[in-house]
Amino acid sequence: MPIMESVPVVEGLFQDVAEGVRLMGTHCTSCGTHYFPKSLSCRNPFCREKKIVDTLLGPGGTLYSYTLQTYQPPPLFRMAPWAPYLIGLVELPQGIRVMGMLTGCGPDKLRIGMPMQLTSETLYCNEEGRAVLTYKFKPANTAADAAPGRGANS
Amino acid sequence: MRPVYILGVGAHPWGKFPHKPQLQLALDAMSLALTDANLEWNDLQALVAASSRFEGGMGWGLHANEIVQAVAEKGIPASNVGGGCAAGGIAVHAAFSMVASGQCDVAAAVGAERMPKGFIPRPPGIPNDITDSDYLRWVAMGATNPAYWALETRRRMHDFGTSDHTLALASVLMHRNAVANPLARYRKACTVAEVLASPMVSDPLRILEICAVSDGAAAVILGSEEQARQRGGPMIRVAGCAIATGQFGDPAVRVPTIAMAARMATPHTSEVVGAVRAACTMAEVEPNDIDLVELADNTAWHVLAWPEFFGFFEPGQSDWMLAQGEMDIDGRLPINPSGGFLSFGEATTAQGVLQVCEVAWQLRGQATGRQVQRARVGMTAVLGLGANGASVVLKV
Repeated sequence: MPIMESVPVVEGLFQDVAEGVRLMGTHCTSCGTHYFPKSLSCRNPFCREKKIVDTLLGPGGTLYSYTLQTYQPPPLFRMAPWAPYLIGLVELPQGIRVMGMLTGCGPDKLRIGMPMQLTSETLYCNEEGRAVLTYKFKPANTAADAAPGRGANS
Repeated sequence: MRPVYILGVGAHPWGKFPHKPQLQLALDAMSLALTDANLEWNDLQALVAASSRFEGGMGWGLHANEIVQAVAEKGIPASNVGGGCAAGGIAVHAAFSMVASGQCDVAAAVGAERMPKGFIPRPPGIPNDITDSDYLRWVAMGATNPAYWALETRRRMHDFGTSDHTLALASVLMHRNAVANPLARYRKACTVAEVLASPMVSDPLRILEICAVSDGAAAVILGSEEQARQRGGPMIRVAGCAIATGQFGDPAVRVPTIAMAARMATPHTSEVVGAVRAACTMAEVEPNDIDLVELADNTAWHVLAWPEFFGFFEPGQSDWMLAQGEMDIDGRLPINPSGGFLSFGEATTAQGVLQVCEVAWQLRGQATGRQVQRARVGMTAVLGLGANGASVVLKV
């Protein structure tokens, strides 16, 4: 099968590095708060320096909540073929919770608190024939999948 | 600050009115409120309108200007305030401030809305920009507003054991309250079984547990003590009136953001909690003093969660309170005797004004068929995009 060229759904949101998928965020070196997507400043009102640097977030976290979205969202969202899909809220060890689509299992297999890890998947193929990717979270089932020391974090 | 009183309230019924322009809805609500206040357009000294992004306002949110130009061009100050779905509450706060500061003796706040059908879309003409969460939430994951509320609901089920049955019961209560309210759009009582049989939108929330969108309009006329005495009738004082924005570390899954740095010390839905606390402090009331609450029940989850966030109930206690009938019109703390958003459908910017109208009717004893007995203190709470919160406490 030919490898289809792919593009992220939005530039600057996530990247696929050698170790896997990472979210592109920022980190305040003054107060330690992490942000996703990249923030222009630190939102902590008690932080005076607000020194923001780019950082990569992930790869693992724990499932904080989830939902099965049954209705098709309005057109800015593209997914082909469309079918009801899961959206989750995943707590990362960096102290933030991130929303994203879920993949790799059905709603019956999901348990709040279970370890999850980042991945990326095709949403649709664009007019240039490229696969348009978004980040997703999937259950970190196997030892090989789970990042060491991250899975049990809550 | 000097005391501020309700002079008049009025609201156009909620529903779908395809042949009635937004301005007409606003004028109808204003006329009703002025009649209720025993005043005429010419008596109005200031007007604050909630800016809608959907219709009217000359495309610039100039809804107050349109109203004065349509009926009473006499040079009065006209303000237009934003605040997403909290704009109506913020408009009331602005009108309150003008009277309280002595800038004028009679000021009106109005919110009028004609809503597009279905999920609320992005505003036109906004560039695709990674710093815009509202863009990211659509393109990266297609997260509708119900998906946000469903994430909160699922977590509540995990934390407190809230059941599908309890969520349905909250919807049943809202619909039952609305049966006697001629302003509500949905006035048919429903059963738990009917709610549970309604289509799933974003699991675990079903369509009868999520508010629709409606057209509607409401207006409030505020005035000085002297003006209120001239009107006669019960003196309804705006004892507390506050607006607030969100706080860093708020654990809420806040529309339309896609990530949050949750901190234990920050209250959930802090923009509304902040406004409620400030309004209650101003009014010198404790939760026990409040006889009824009108809150923004975008979903059944809000009916359960918000009274806990405000400190009326302990975390997780609402389920039991609801099941025991303590949130009913004759319960310990009646929630949304009007029927709430679930029975009205949300006419976004009008909603915060309508809440104040309902509390005024309750305190006057005019809420026929849904009257909370011996109601002397009532509170409103509304949330808007951009982490805007507003709350009003009325006392008789």
